[in-house]
Amino acid sequence: MKRKIALGLLVAAAVSALPAAPHAGKSEVAKMTLKVGDTAPDFTLLSDQWKSVKLSDYRGKKNVFLAVYVLAFTGG
Amino acid sequence: MDSPAANAAFAKQIGIKFPLLSDMNRKMLKTYGILKGYDVQNETYEWALRANIIIDKQGIIQFVEEGDSAVDPNTALTMCTTLHKKEPAK
Repeated sequence: MKRKIALGLLVAAAVSALPAAPHAGKSEVAKMTLKVGDTAPDFTLLSDQWKSVKLSDYRGKKNVFLAVYVLAFTGG
Repeated sequence: MDSPAANAAFAKQIGIKFPLLSDMNRKMLKTYGILKGYDVQNETYEWALRANIIIDKQGIIQFVEEGDSAVDPNTALTMCTTLHKKEPAK
């Protein structure tokens, strides 16, 4: 049986170097706006090989595992 | 922000076989509601939540995990396996 492998995408999004913000105004209520059952908005991002990767390229072909990993290269 | 060059070095270092993507203009993070602004001493700073999202072949979101629990990918991996089993064998 041909084994299907989910495509793993890692969005290494080191946006800011603040690991925690106990005094931040909105930190307690931060929630994603998308939920299960929604259509995933298409996006185009640059890969580590400098190639454009579109979510829609995998439509009908593969399931996609998207991991948003903040501060990938730090201990945070 | 991690650039493609930084990601390439990281991928080589730990032997990653899947694409590492950079959201240099933060467009995807904003669209998905992952980028959040925090007000600290009259300045707004932005950074992203940690999140695991599984999207099926039809482009429908099947799983969302965010925050501290998203650091552990095991729940998401179990969901991936479940999704594969639901598909008819070819």
